[in-house]
Amino acid sequence: MQPTATIRRLKAAGAPPRLSAFAQWADRHFKWLLVAPAVLLILALSIYPLLFSLVVSFINYDFQVPGHAFVGLKNFERVVFDPVARWSLLLTAWLSGISVAIEFVLGLLVALTMVRSFPGRGVIMSILIVPLFISPVIVGQAWTLLLQRPFGPTNYILTQLLGQEVTIGWMTERPWLYISLIIADVWQWTPFMFVILLAGLTAIPPNLYEAAELDGVNAWQAFWAITLPHLGPMMLLALTFRLLDAIRMFDTIFIMTGGGPGTQTYTASYYLYTVGFTQFHLSQATAGSWLFLIFTALIVTLLVRRLLKVEPV
Amino acid sequence: MAAVAPARRRKRRSLPIGRILLLGFFLVFVLWPLYWMFNTSIKPSDDYLTVPPVWFPAAPTLVHYEAALFTYRGLDGLINSLIISLSATVLSALIGTLMAYSLARYNTGGRHLSFWVLSQRFLPPIGIVLPVFLIYRGVGLYDTHIGLILAYTVFTLPVSVWMMFAYFRGMPKSMEEAALVDGCTRWEAFWRVAVPLAAPGIVAAAVFAFIACWTEFFFALILTSRTAFTLPTVFRAFIGFQGAQYGEAAALAIVSLVPSIALGVLAQRHLVRGLTLGAVRG
Repeated sequence: MQPTATIRRLKAAGAPPRLSAFAQWADRHFKWLLVAPAVLLILALSIYPLLFSLVVSFINYDFQVPGHAFVGLKNFERVVFDPVARWSLLLTAWLSGISVAIEFVLGLLVALTMVRSFPGRGVIMSILIVPLFISPVIVGQAWTLLLQRPFGPTNYILTQLLGQEVTIGWMTERPWLYISLIIADVWQWTPFMFVILLAGLTAIPPNLYEAAELDGVNAWQAFWAITLPHLGPMMLLALTFRLLDAIRMFDTIFIMTGGGPGTQTYTASYYLYTVGFTQFHLSQATAGSWLFLIFTALIVTLLVRRLLKVEPV
Repeated sequence: MAAVAPARRRKRRSLPIGRILLLGFFLVFVLWPLYWMFNTSIKPSDDYLTVPPVWFPAAPTLVHYEAALFTYRGLDGLINSLIISLSATVLSALIGTLMAYSLARYNTGGRHLSFWVLSQRFLPPIGIVLPVFLIYRGVGLYDTHIGLILAYTVFTLPVSVWMMFAYFRGMPKSMEEAALVDGCTRWEAFWRVAVPLAAPGIVAAAVFAFIACWTEFFFALILTSRTAFTLPTVFRAFIGFQGAQYGEAAALAIVSLVPSIALGVLAQRHLVRGLTLGAVRG
Protein backbone atom coordinates (compact mmCIF):
# COMPACT_ATOMS: atom_id res chain seq x y z
CA MET A 1 0.00 0.00 0.00
CA GLN A 2 1.42 3.31 -1.06
CA PRO A 3 0.10 5.53 1.77
CA THR A 4 1.52 3.38 4.53
CA ALA A 5 4.82 3.33 2.68
CA THR A 6 4.73 7.10 2.58
CA ILE A 7 4.05 7.27 6.28
CA ARG A 8 6.84 4.83 7.00
CA ARG A 9 9.23 6.95 4.98
CA LEU A 10 8.17 10.05 6.87
CA LYS A 11 8.58 8.24 10.18
CA ALA A 12 12.04 7.08 9.18
CA ALA A 13 12.97 10.70 8.57
CA GLY A 14 12.37 11.30 12.29
CA ALA A 15 10.37 14.19 13.67
CA PRO A 16 8.07 16.03 11.29
CA PRO A 17 10.09 18.57 9.28
CA ARG A 18 9.73 22.16 10.42
CA LEU A 19 7.46 24.07 8.13
CA SER A 20 8.16 27.49 6.73
CA ALA A 21 5.90 30.36 7.76
CA PHE A 22 4.09 30.15 4.45
CA ALA A 23 3.52 26.42 4.77
CA GLN A 24 2.15 26.91 8.27
CA TRP A 25 -0.20 29.60 7.05
CA ALA A 26 -1.27 27.37 4.15
CA ASP A 27 -1.87 24.44 6.48
CA ARG A 28 -4.03 26.57 8.78
CA HIS A 29 -6.20 27.84 5.96
CA PHE A 30 -6.04 24.56 4.07
CA LYS A 31 -9.78 24.03 3.66
CA TRP A 32 -10.30 27.51 2.21
CA LEU A 33 -7.35 27.23 -0.15
CA LEU A 34 -8.83 24.04 -1.57
CA VAL A 35 -12.16 25.61 -2.42
CA ALA A 36 -10.61 28.86 -3.67
CA PRO A 37 -9.93 27.90 -7.32
CA ALA A 38 -13.44 26.55 -7.89
CA VAL A 39 -15.11 29.44 -6.11
CA LEU A 40 -13.06 32.03 -7.97
CA LEU A 41 -13.82 30.41 -11.33
CA ILE A 42 -17.54 30.28 -10.63
CA LEU A 43 -17.47 33.88 -9.42
CA ALA A 44 -15.64 35.03 -12.52
CA LEU A 45 -17.56 33.09 -15.14
CA SER A 46 -21.00 32.70 -13.64
CA ILE A 47 -21.77 35.17 -10.87
CA TYR A 48 -20.04 38.17 -12.44
CA PRO A 49 -21.74 37.54 -15.83
CA LEU A 50 -25.08 37.21 -14.07
CA LEU A 51 -24.64 40.55 -12.30
CA PHE A 52 -23.36 42.11 -15.50
CA SER A 53 -26.46 40.87 -17.34
CA LEU A 54 -28.63 42.34 -14.60
CA VAL A 55 -27.06 45.71 -15.36
CA VAL A 56 -27.44 45.17 -19.10
CA SER A 57 -31.13 44.38 -18.71
CA PHE A 58 -31.78 47.86 -17.27
CA ILE A 59 -29.84 49.82 -19.90
CA ASN A 60 -29.94 50.05 -23.65
CA TYR A 61 -27.50 47.46 -25.03
CA ASP A 62 -28.53 46.91 -28.58
CA PHE A 63 -26.38 46.50 -31.66
CA GLN A 64 -29.06 48.37 -33.60
CA VAL A 65 -29.51 51.32 -31.21
CA PRO A 66 -26.33 53.20 -30.18
CA GLY A 67 -25.58 54.30 -26.60
CA HIS A 68 -26.08 52.66 -23.21
CA ALA A 69 -28.75 54.86 -21.62
CA PHE A 70 -30.65 53.70 -18.53
CA VAL A 71 -34.11 52.62 -19.66
CA GLY A 72 -35.67 51.28 -16.46
CA LEU A 73 -38.03 48.37 -16.97
CA LYS A 74 -38.47 48.92 -20.70
CA ASN A 75 -36.52 45.79 -21.68
CA PHE A 76 -38.64 43.67 -19.37
CA GLU A 77 -41.82 45.25 -20.75
CA ARG A 78 -40.74 44.38 -24.28
CA VAL A 79 -40.40 40.73 -23.33
CA VAL A 80 -43.56 40.50 -21.23
CA PHE A 81 -45.72 42.11 -23.92
CA ASP A 82 -44.17 40.16 -26.78
CA PRO A 83 -46.72 37.50 -27.82
CA VAL A 84 -43.89 35.35 -29.21
CA ALA A 85 -42.24 35.33 -25.76
CA ARG A 86 -45.41 34.19 -24.07
CA TRP A 87 -45.97 31.57 -26.77
CA SER A 88 -42.44 30.25 -26.38
CA LEU A 89 -42.79 29.94 -22.61
CA LEU A 90 -46.07 28.07 -23.03
CA LEU A 91 -44.56 25.77 -25.63
CA THR A 92 -41.56 25.12 -23.36
CA ALA A 93 -43.92 24.05 -20.59
CA TRP A 94 -45.97 21.83 -22.90
CA LEU A 95 -43.08 20.19 -24.73
CA SER A 96 -41.02 19.54 -21.61
CA GLY A 97 -44.05 18.35 -19.64
CA ILE A 98 -45.17 15.87 -22.30
CA SER A 99 -41.65 14.65 -23.07
CA VAL A 100 -40.76 14.11 -19.43
CA ALA A 101 -44.06 12.32 -18.76
CA ILE A 102 -43.53 9.91 -21.65
CA GLU A 103 -39.90 9.36 -20.68
CA PHE A 104 -40.95 8.62 -17.13
CA VAL A 105 -43.60 6.04 -18.00
CA LEU A 106 -41.51 4.37 -20.69
CA GLY A 107 -38.39 4.44 -18.52
CA LEU A 108 -40.26 2.89 -15.62
CA LEU A 109 -41.72 0.14 -17.81
CA VAL A 110 -38.34 -0.74 -19.28
CA ALA A 111 -36.72 -0.61 -15.84
CA LEU A 112 -39.35 -3.06 -14.53
CA THR A 113 -38.50 -5.54 -17.30
CA MET A 114 -34.81 -5.25 -16.49
CA VAL A 115 -34.87 -5.73 -12.69
CA ARG A 116 -34.44 -9.47 -12.68
CA SER A 117 -31.38 -10.85 -14.37
CA PHE A 118 -31.77 -12.83 -17.57
CA PRO A 119 -29.36 -13.97 -20.29
CA GLY A 120 -28.13 -10.99 -22.35
CA ARG A 121 -29.10 -8.39 -19.75
CA GLY A 122 -25.62 -6.85 -19.66
CA VAL A 123 -25.47 -6.36 -23.42
CA ILE A 124 -28.98 -4.90 -23.57
CA MET A 125 -28.09 -2.56 -20.72
CA SER A 126 -25.07 -1.27 -22.64
CA ILE A 127 -27.19 -0.66 -25.74
CA LEU A 128 -30.01 1.10 -23.92
CA ILE A 129 -27.76 3.73 -22.35
CA VAL A 130 -26.08 4.73 -25.62
CA PRO A 131 -28.35 7.74 -26.35
CA LEU A 132 -27.13 9.43 -23.16
CA PHE A 133 -23.66 9.86 -24.62
CA ILE A 134 -24.67 11.46 -27.91
CA SER A 135 -24.76 15.18 -28.55
CA PRO A 136 -28.37 16.43 -28.84
CA VAL A 137 -27.28 18.01 -32.10
CA ILE A 138 -26.59 14.57 -33.53
CA VAL A 139 -29.84 13.20 -32.12
CA GLY A 140 -31.68 15.98 -33.97
CA GLN A 141 -29.67 15.19 -37.08
CA ALA A 142 -30.44 11.46 -36.85
CA TRP A 143 -34.18 12.02 -36.53
CA THR A 144 -34.14 14.55 -39.35
CA LEU A 145 -32.54 11.90 -41.55
CA LEU A 146 -35.33 9.49 -40.62
CA LEU A 147 -38.28 11.85 -40.81
CA GLN A 148 -37.61 14.57 -43.36
CA ARG A 149 -39.29 14.31 -46.72
CA PRO A 150 -38.41 13.18 -49.31
CA PHE A 151 -35.28 11.49 -47.98
CA GLY A 152 -36.45 9.92 -44.72
CA PRO A 153 -37.81 6.36 -44.86
CA THR A 154 -40.45 6.87 -42.15
CA ASN A 155 -43.36 7.74 -44.42
CA TYR A 156 -42.50 4.81 -46.69
CA ILE A 157 -42.45 2.40 -43.73
CA LEU A 158 -45.76 3.74 -42.43
CA THR A 159 -47.29 3.42 -45.90
CA GLN A 160 -46.25 -0.23 -46.02
CA LEU A 161 -47.48 -0.94 -42.50
CA LEU A 162 -50.83 0.83 -42.82
CA GLY A 163 -51.54 -0.17 -46.39
CA GLN A 164 -52.36 3.38 -47.45
CA GLU A 165 -50.32 6.32 -48.71
CA VAL A 166 -48.80 8.33 -45.82
CA THR A 167 -47.41 11.78 -46.64
CA ILE A 168 -46.70 13.47 -43.33
CA GLY A 169 -44.56 16.61 -43.29
CA TRP A 170 -42.80 15.75 -40.05
CA MET A 171 -40.79 18.95 -39.94
CA THR A 172 -43.31 21.38 -41.42
CA GLU A 173 -46.89 20.53 -40.39
CA ARG A 174 -48.60 20.94 -37.07
CA PRO A 175 -48.90 18.88 -34.95
CA TRP A 176 -46.28 16.58 -36.48
CA LEU A 177 -43.34 18.91 -35.86
CA TYR A 178 -44.07 18.87 -32.14
CA ILE A 179 -44.35 15.10 -32.24
CA SER A 180 -41.00 14.90 -34.03
CA LEU A 181 -39.32 17.06 -31.38
CA ILE A 182 -40.88 14.99 -28.60
CA ILE A 183 -39.78 11.72 -30.24
CA ALA A 184 -36.20 12.98 -30.45
CA ASP A 185 -36.26 14.04 -26.80
CA VAL A 186 -37.86 10.76 -25.70
CA TRP A 187 -35.27 8.80 -27.65
CA GLN A 188 -32.40 10.57 -25.98
CA TRP A 189 -33.63 10.86 -22.40
CA THR A 190 -35.80 7.80 -21.66
CA PRO A 191 -32.55 5.98 -20.77
CA PHE A 192 -31.94 8.64 -18.13
CA MET A 193 -35.20 7.77 -16.36
CA PHE A 194 -34.60 4.09 -16.94
CA VAL A 195 -31.13 4.08 -15.38
CA ILE A 196 -32.12 6.01 -12.26
CA LEU A 197 -35.37 4.11 -11.71
CA LEU A 198 -33.60 0.79 -12.22
CA ALA A 199 -31.10 1.75 -9.52
CA GLY A 200 -34.06 2.51 -7.25
CA LEU A 201 -35.81 -0.77 -8.09
CA THR A 202 -32.77 -2.94 -7.46
CA ALA A 203 -32.35 -1.29 -4.05
CA ILE A 204 -35.76 -2.58 -2.88
CA PRO A 205 -35.18 -5.65 -0.68
CA PRO A 206 -36.43 -8.71 -2.62
CA ASN A 207 -37.74 -10.40 0.55
CA LEU A 208 -40.56 -7.84 0.61
CA TYR A 209 -41.86 -9.32 -2.63
CA GLU A 210 -41.32 -12.87 -1.39
CA ALA A 211 -43.36 -12.10 1.72
CA ALA A 212 -46.08 -10.50 -0.41
CA GLU A 213 -46.15 -13.54 -2.67
CA LEU A 214 -46.64 -15.82 0.35
CA ASP A 215 -49.53 -13.61 1.46
CA GLY A 216 -51.19 -14.13 -1.92
CA VAL A 217 -50.76 -10.55 -3.09
CA ASN A 218 -50.91 -10.23 -6.87
CA ALA A 219 -48.28 -8.43 -8.95
CA TRP A 220 -50.36 -5.28 -9.41
CA GLN A 221 -51.04 -4.92 -5.69
CA ALA A 222 -47.37 -5.53 -4.92
CA PHE A 223 -46.47 -2.75 -7.34
CA TRP A 224 -48.76 -0.28 -5.55
CA ALA A 225 -47.94 -1.38 -2.03
CA ILE A 226 -44.19 -2.04 -2.28
CA THR A 227 -42.63 -0.66 -5.46
CA LEU A 228 -44.20 2.78 -5.63
CA PRO A 229 -43.61 3.85 -2.01
CA HIS A 230 -40.01 2.63 -2.07
CA LEU A 231 -39.33 4.23 -5.41
CA GLY A 232 -40.90 7.59 -4.51
CA PRO A 233 -37.76 9.58 -3.65
CA MET A 234 -35.96 8.22 -6.70
CA MET A 235 -38.88 9.13 -8.96
CA LEU A 236 -38.90 12.67 -7.62
CA LEU A 237 -35.17 12.97 -8.18
CA ALA A 238 -35.32 11.64 -11.73
CA LEU A 239 -38.27 13.87 -12.62
CA THR A 240 -36.67 16.99 -11.16
CA PHE A 241 -33.32 16.54 -12.85
CA ARG A 242 -34.95 15.74 -16.17
CA LEU A 243 -37.47 18.57 -16.01
CA LEU A 244 -34.78 21.13 -15.27
CA ASP A 245 -32.88 20.00 -18.34
CA ALA A 246 -35.96 19.67 -20.54
CA ILE A 247 -37.00 23.29 -20.08
CA ARG A 248 -33.72 24.36 -21.70
CA MET A 249 -34.58 22.51 -24.92
CA PHE A 250 -32.63 24.20 -27.69
CA ASP A 251 -30.23 21.99 -29.65
CA THR A 252 -32.71 19.65 -31.32
CA ILE A 253 -34.92 22.59 -32.30
CA PHE A 254 -31.96 24.45 -33.73
CA ILE A 255 -31.13 21.47 -35.94
CA MET A 256 -34.58 20.03 -36.73
CA THR A 257 -36.92 22.99 -37.26
CA GLY A 258 -34.88 26.16 -36.74
CA GLY A 259 -37.78 27.44 -34.65
CA GLY A 260 -40.01 27.33 -37.71
CA PRO A 261 -42.16 27.34 -39.60
CA GLY A 262 -42.46 30.97 -38.51
CA THR A 263 -42.17 30.97 -34.74
CA GLN A 264 -44.14 27.77 -34.21
CA THR A 265 -41.37 25.82 -32.52
CA TYR A 266 -39.81 28.62 -30.45
CA THR A 267 -39.00 27.47 -26.94
CA ALA A 268 -37.90 29.92 -24.25
CA SER A 269 -34.21 29.30 -24.91
CA TYR A 270 -34.68 29.50 -28.65
CA TYR A 271 -36.66 32.73 -28.39
CA LEU A 272 -33.99 34.38 -26.22
CA TYR A 273 -31.30 33.16 -28.59
CA THR A 274 -32.97 34.72 -31.63
CA VAL A 275 -33.70 37.98 -29.83
CA GLY A 276 -30.09 38.22 -28.66
CA PHE A 277 -28.11 36.75 -31.53
CA THR A 278 -30.07 37.17 -34.73
CA GLN A 279 -31.89 40.43 -33.94
CA PHE A 280 -29.10 41.70 -31.62
CA HIS A 281 -31.48 43.17 -29.03
CA LEU A 282 -29.04 42.10 -26.34
CA SER A 283 -30.58 43.99 -23.44
CA GLN A 284 -34.04 42.63 -24.25
CA ALA A 285 -32.62 39.12 -24.36
CA THR A 286 -30.84 39.51 -21.00
CA ALA A 287 -34.03 40.87 -19.43
CA GLY A 288 -35.89 37.86 -20.79
CA SER A 289 -33.22 35.45 -19.57
CA TRP A 290 -33.51 36.93 -16.08
CA LEU A 291 -37.24 36.29 -16.11
CA PHE A 292 -36.56 32.74 -17.29
CA LEU A 293 -33.94 32.36 -14.57
CA ILE A 294 -36.50 33.33 -11.95
CA PHE A 295 -38.93 30.71 -13.28
CA THR A 296 -36.19 28.10 -13.10
CA ALA A 297 -35.15 29.18 -9.61
CA LEU A 298 -38.73 28.73 -8.46
CA ILE A 299 -38.77 25.15 -9.74
CA VAL A 300 -35.37 24.48 -8.17
CA THR A 301 -36.37 25.76 -4.74
CA LEU A 302 -39.69 23.95 -4.86
CA LEU A 303 -38.38 20.60 -6.08
CA VAL A 304 -34.67 20.28 -5.32
CA ARG A 305 -34.86 21.42 -1.70
CA ARG A 306 -37.67 19.03 -0.93
CA LEU A 307 -35.88 16.30 -2.81
CA LEU A 308 -32.65 16.60 -0.89
CA LYS A 309 -34.54 16.48 2.37
CA VAL A 310 -36.03 13.16 1.35
CA GLU A 311 -32.75 11.78 0.08
CA PRO A 312 -29.96 12.33 2.64
CA VAL A 313 -26.71 12.73 0.78
CA MET B 1 -27.29 -18.62 2.24
CA ALA B 2 -27.11 -22.05 0.66
CA ALA B 3 -30.87 -22.37 0.99
CA VAL B 4 -31.48 -19.00 -0.61
CA ALA B 5 -29.31 -19.49 -3.66
CA PRO B 6 -31.40 -22.20 -5.42
CA ALA B 7 -34.58 -20.18 -4.80
CA ARG B 8 -32.96 -17.18 -6.46
CA ARG B 9 -31.92 -19.31 -9.39
CA ARG B 10 -35.45 -20.56 -9.88
CA LYS B 11 -36.55 -16.91 -10.15
CA ARG B 12 -34.24 -16.63 -13.14
CA ARG B 13 -36.89 -18.06 -15.47
CA SER B 14 -37.32 -16.61 -18.94
CA LEU B 15 -39.19 -13.34 -19.32
CA PRO B 16 -42.93 -13.31 -19.96
CA ILE B 17 -43.96 -12.53 -23.53
CA GLY B 18 -45.19 -9.00 -22.76
CA ARG B 19 -41.85 -8.00 -21.33
CA ILE B 20 -39.96 -9.46 -24.27
CA LEU B 21 -42.15 -7.45 -26.65
CA LEU B 22 -41.67 -4.22 -24.70
CA LEU B 23 -37.93 -4.68 -24.45
CA GLY B 24 -37.69 -5.68 -28.10
CA PHE B 25 -39.68 -2.66 -29.20
CA PHE B 26 -37.52 -0.36 -27.14
CA LEU B 27 -34.29 -1.90 -28.42
CA VAL B 28 -35.43 -1.37 -32.01
CA PHE B 29 -36.43 2.21 -31.16
CA VAL B 30 -32.95 2.91 -29.75
CA LEU B 31 -30.98 1.16 -32.48
CA TRP B 32 -32.94 2.17 -35.58
CA PRO B 33 -31.84 5.84 -35.82
CA LEU B 34 -28.24 4.78 -35.20
CA TYR B 35 -28.40 2.14 -37.89
CA TRP B 36 -30.03 4.50 -40.37
CA MET B 37 -27.36 7.11 -39.73
CA PHE B 38 -24.61 4.56 -40.31
CA ASN B 39 -26.39 3.31 -43.41
CA THR B 40 -26.69 6.86 -44.77
CA SER B 41 -23.03 7.57 -44.10
CA ILE B 42 -21.84 4.74 -46.38
CA LYS B 43 -24.53 5.10 -49.04
CA PRO B 44 -23.58 6.36 -52.52
CA SER B 45 -25.41 9.62 -53.32
CA ASP B 46 -27.43 7.88 -56.07
CA ASP B 47 -29.15 5.73 -53.45
CA TYR B 48 -30.51 8.67 -51.43
CA LEU B 49 -33.96 9.15 -52.92
CA THR B 50 -34.93 5.75 -54.27
CA VAL B 51 -38.33 4.20 -53.51
CA PRO B 52 -38.26 1.85 -51.68
CA PRO B 53 -35.31 3.17 -49.66
CA VAL B 54 -31.99 1.33 -49.83
CA TRP B 55 -31.79 -0.58 -46.54
CA PHE B 56 -28.18 -1.45 -47.10
CA PRO B 57 -26.07 -0.04 -49.94
CA ALA B 58 -24.85 -2.52 -52.55
CA ALA B 59 -21.64 -0.54 -53.00
CA PRO B 60 -20.68 1.07 -49.65
CA THR B 61 -18.44 4.11 -49.94
CA LEU B 62 -16.32 6.31 -47.69
CA VAL B 63 -16.53 9.47 -49.84
CA HIS B 64 -18.90 11.15 -47.38
CA TYR B 65 -16.41 10.69 -44.54
CA GLU B 66 -13.74 12.35 -46.63
CA ALA B 67 -16.01 15.26 -47.55
CA ALA B 68 -17.26 15.71 -43.99
CA LEU B 69 -13.76 15.78 -42.51
CA PHE B 70 -12.03 17.92 -45.14
CA THR B 71 -14.54 19.89 -47.23
CA TYR B 72 -16.73 20.76 -44.24
CA ARG B 73 -13.76 21.20 -41.84
CA GLY B 74 -14.95 18.34 -39.65
CA LEU B 75 -11.35 17.41 -38.88
CA ASP B 76 -10.61 20.93 -37.57
CA GLY B 77 -13.72 20.67 -35.40
CA LEU B 78 -12.62 17.26 -34.17
CA ILE B 79 -9.18 18.55 -33.18
CA ASN B 80 -10.66 21.63 -31.49
CA SER B 81 -13.15 19.45 -29.64
CA LEU B 82 -10.36 17.18 -28.42
CA ILE B 83 -8.16 20.07 -27.23
CA ILE B 84 -10.99 21.92 -25.53
CA SER B 85 -12.76 18.93 -23.98
CA LEU B 86 -9.55 17.35 -22.66
CA SER B 87 -8.23 20.60 -21.17
CA ALA B 88 -11.55 21.46 -19.56
CA THR B 89 -11.88 17.92 -18.21
CA VAL B 90 -8.44 17.97 -16.57
CA LEU B 91 -9.04 21.41 -15.06
CA SER B 92 -12.52 20.51 -13.87
CA ALA B 93 -11.45 17.20 -12.33
CA LEU B 94 -8.49 18.83 -10.57
CA ILE B 95 -10.27 21.89 -9.23
CA GLY B 96 -13.41 19.90 -8.50
CA THR B 97 -11.50 17.30 -6.49
CA LEU B 98 -9.79 20.01 -4.42
CA MET B 99 -13.12 21.59 -3.55
CA ALA B 100 -14.94 18.30 -2.99
CA TYR B 101 -12.27 17.16 -0.52
CA SER B 102 -12.57 20.35 1.48
CA LEU B 103 -16.38 20.08 1.52
CA ALA B 104 -16.38 16.40 2.46
CA ARG B 105 -13.65 16.39 5.14
CA TYR B 106 -13.79 19.90 6.62
CA ASN B 107 -17.45 20.72 5.91
CA THR B 108 -16.24 24.04 4.49
CA GLY B 109 -18.97 26.66 4.24
CA GLY B 110 -21.57 24.26 5.63
CA ARG B 111 -24.39 23.27 3.30
CA HIS B 112 -24.53 26.73 1.73
CA LEU B 113 -21.34 26.42 -0.26
CA SER B 114 -22.14 22.96 -1.60
CA PHE B 115 -25.68 23.98 -2.57
CA TRP B 116 -24.32 27.11 -4.19
CA VAL B 117 -22.15 24.92 -6.44
CA LEU B 118 -25.07 22.60 -7.11
CA SER B 119 -27.32 25.49 -8.10
CA GLN B 120 -24.87 26.31 -10.91
CA ARG B 121 -25.88 23.02 -12.50
CA PHE B 122 -29.47 24.19 -12.84
CA LEU B 123 -28.88 27.68 -14.20
CA PRO B 124 -30.29 27.98 -17.70
CA PRO B 125 -27.25 28.36 -20.01
CA ILE B 126 -28.95 31.15 -21.94
CA GLY B 127 -28.78 33.35 -18.82
CA ILE B 128 -25.02 32.89 -18.54
CA VAL B 129 -23.98 32.78 -22.15
CA LEU B 130 -25.34 36.19 -23.20
CA PRO B 131 -23.25 38.20 -20.71
CA VAL B 132 -20.26 35.86 -21.12
CA PHE B 133 -20.41 36.58 -24.83
CA LEU B 134 -20.31 40.34 -24.18
CA ILE B 135 -17.49 39.98 -21.63
CA TYR B 136 -15.46 37.68 -23.90
CA ARG B 137 -15.72 40.15 -26.77
CA GLY B 138 -14.42 42.86 -24.45
CA VAL B 139 -11.40 40.92 -23.17
CA GLY B 140 -10.48 39.10 -26.37
CA LEU B 141 -11.54 35.61 -25.32
CA TYR B 142 -14.27 35.32 -27.96
CA ASP B 143 -13.58 32.48 -30.42
CA THR B 144 -10.47 31.30 -28.56
CA HIS B 145 -9.69 27.85 -27.21
CA ILE B 146 -8.94 29.25 -23.76
CA GLY B 147 -12.28 31.03 -23.62
CA LEU B 148 -14.25 27.88 -24.28
CA ILE B 149 -12.01 25.79 -22.00
CA LEU B 150 -12.74 28.16 -19.11
CA ALA B 151 -16.46 28.18 -19.87
CA TYR B 152 -16.56 24.37 -20.00
CA THR B 153 -14.55 24.05 -16.79
CA VAL B 154 -17.15 26.10 -14.95
CA PHE B 155 -19.97 24.30 -16.74
CA THR B 156 -18.71 20.87 -15.59
CA LEU B 157 -17.59 21.90 -12.08
CA PRO B 158 -20.91 21.08 -10.35
CA VAL B 159 -20.71 17.51 -11.67
CA SER B 160 -17.05 17.06 -10.68
CA VAL B 161 -17.51 18.62 -7.25
CA TRP B 162 -20.65 16.70 -6.35
CA MET B 163 -19.49 13.35 -7.69
CA MET B 164 -16.21 13.65 -5.80
CA PHE B 165 -17.98 15.00 -2.72
CA ALA B 166 -20.07 11.83 -2.57
CA TYR B 167 -16.99 9.72 -3.26
CA PHE B 168 -14.91 11.22 -0.44
CA ARG B 169 -17.89 10.94 1.91
CA GLY B 170 -18.04 7.22 1.18
CA MET B 171 -14.31 6.75 1.88
CA PRO B 172 -13.07 5.96 5.42
CA LYS B 173 -11.13 8.81 7.04
CA SER B 174 -8.82 6.56 9.02
CA MET B 175 -5.91 6.56 6.53
CA GLU B 176 -5.75 10.33 6.34
CA GLU B 177 -6.09 10.63 10.11
CA ALA B 178 -3.21 8.21 10.55
CA ALA B 179 -1.12 10.28 8.15
CA LEU B 180 -1.92 13.46 10.10
CA VAL B 181 -1.00 11.81 13.40
CA ASP B 182 2.27 10.76 11.85
CA GLY B 183 3.09 14.37 11.13
CA CYS B 184 1.94 14.84 7.55
CA THR B 185 0.62 18.26 6.68
CA ARG B 186 -3.01 18.45 5.62
CA TRP B 187 -1.90 18.85 2.03
CA GLU B 188 0.19 15.68 2.22
CA ALA B 189 -2.71 13.77 3.79
CA PHE B 190 -4.84 14.91 0.88
CA TRP B 191 -2.44 14.59 -2.02
CA ARG B 192 -0.49 11.49 -1.01
CA VAL B 193 -3.17 9.53 0.85
CA ALA B 194 -6.68 10.56 -0.16
CA VAL B 195 -6.16 11.29 -3.87
CA PRO B 196 -4.55 7.92 -4.74
CA LEU B 197 -7.37 6.15 -2.88
CA ALA B 198 -9.99 8.23 -4.71
CA ALA B 199 -8.42 7.74 -8.14
CA PRO B 200 -11.24 5.52 -9.52
CA GLY B 201 -13.79 8.15 -8.53
CA ILE B 202 -11.74 10.94 -10.08
CA VAL B 203 -11.47 9.01 -13.33
CA ALA B 204 -15.24 8.43 -13.39
CA ALA B 205 -15.96 12.09 -12.72
CA ALA B 206 -13.53 13.07 -15.47
CA VAL B 207 -15.20 10.73 -17.95
CA PHE B 208 -18.59 12.36 -17.37
CA ALA B 209 -17.08 15.84 -17.56
CA PHE B 210 -15.46 14.91 -20.86
CA ILE B 211 -18.70 13.56 -22.33
CA ALA B 212 -20.53 16.72 -21.24
CA CYS B 213 -17.93 18.91 -22.99
CA TRP B 214 -17.72 16.72 -26.07
CA THR B 215 -21.48 16.82 -26.67
CA GLU B 216 -22.05 20.47 -25.68
CA PHE B 217 -23.45 22.73 -28.39
CA PHE B 218 -24.97 25.91 -27.00
CA PHE B 219 -21.86 27.57 -25.50
CA ALA B 220 -19.79 26.59 -28.51
CA LEU B 221 -22.39 28.01 -30.89
CA ILE B 222 -22.30 31.42 -29.24
CA LEU B 223 -18.74 31.72 -27.95
CA THR B 224 -16.88 30.49 -31.04
CA SER B 225 -16.84 31.24 -34.72
CA ARG B 226 -14.18 30.36 -37.30
CA THR B 227 -11.20 29.45 -35.11
CA ALA B 228 -12.19 27.53 -31.98
CA PHE B 229 -15.38 25.91 -33.30
CA THR B 230 -16.07 22.43 -31.92
CA LEU B 231 -17.41 19.34 -33.65
CA PRO B 232 -21.13 19.77 -32.78
CA THR B 233 -21.17 23.26 -34.29
CA VAL B 234 -20.01 21.91 -37.67
CA PHE B 235 -23.50 20.43 -38.07
CA ARG B 236 -24.84 23.92 -38.74
CA ALA B 237 -23.62 23.42 -42.31
CA PHE B 238 -26.18 20.67 -42.86
CA ILE B 239 -29.34 22.31 -41.52
CA GLY B 240 -32.24 21.72 -43.87
CA PHE B 241 -29.96 19.71 -46.19
CA GLN B 242 -30.19 22.38 -48.88
CA GLY B 243 -27.17 20.79 -50.53
CA ALA B 244 -28.47 17.24 -49.98
CA GLN B 245 -25.43 16.49 -47.76
CA TYR B 246 -27.20 13.58 -46.06
CA GLY B 247 -24.14 11.36 -46.24
CA GLU B 248 -21.74 14.04 -44.98
CA ALA B 249 -23.98 14.84 -42.01
CA ALA B 250 -24.34 11.15 -41.14
CA ALA B 251 -20.61 10.49 -41.55
CA LEU B 252 -19.66 13.38 -39.27
CA ALA B 253 -22.22 12.21 -36.71
CA ILE B 254 -20.73 8.71 -36.68
CA VAL B 255 -17.21 10.09 -36.27
CA SER B 256 -18.25 12.28 -33.38
CA LEU B 257 -20.37 9.81 -31.44
CA VAL B 258 -17.86 6.97 -31.34
CA PRO B 259 -15.53 8.44 -28.65
CA SER B 260 -18.24 9.54 -26.25
CA ILE B 261 -20.22 6.31 -26.54
CA ALA B 262 -17.09 4.22 -26.03
CA LEU B 263 -16.16 6.17 -22.89
CA GLY B 264 -19.71 6.15 -21.60
CA VAL B 265 -20.20 2.43 -21.97
CA LEU B 266 -16.81 1.77 -20.35
CA ALA B 267 -17.79 3.93 -17.37
CA GLN B 268 -21.34 2.62 -17.10
CA ARG B 269 -20.72 1.26 -13.59
CA HIS B 270 -20.60 4.88 -12.43
CA LEU B 271 -23.47 6.05 -14.64
CA VAL B 272 -26.07 6.49 -11.91
CA ARG B 273 -23.72 8.60 -9.83
CA GLY B 274 -22.79 10.62 -12.89
CA LEU B 275 -26.39 11.34 -13.83
CA THR B 276 -27.49 12.28 -10.33
CA LEU B 277 -24.32 14.19 -9.34
CA GLY B 278 -23.46 11.52 -6.79
CA ALA B 279 -26.80 11.77 -4.98
CA VAL B 280 -27.63 8.13 -5.76
CA ARG B 281 -25.18 5.30 -5.42
CA GLY B 282 -25.61 2.91 -8.36
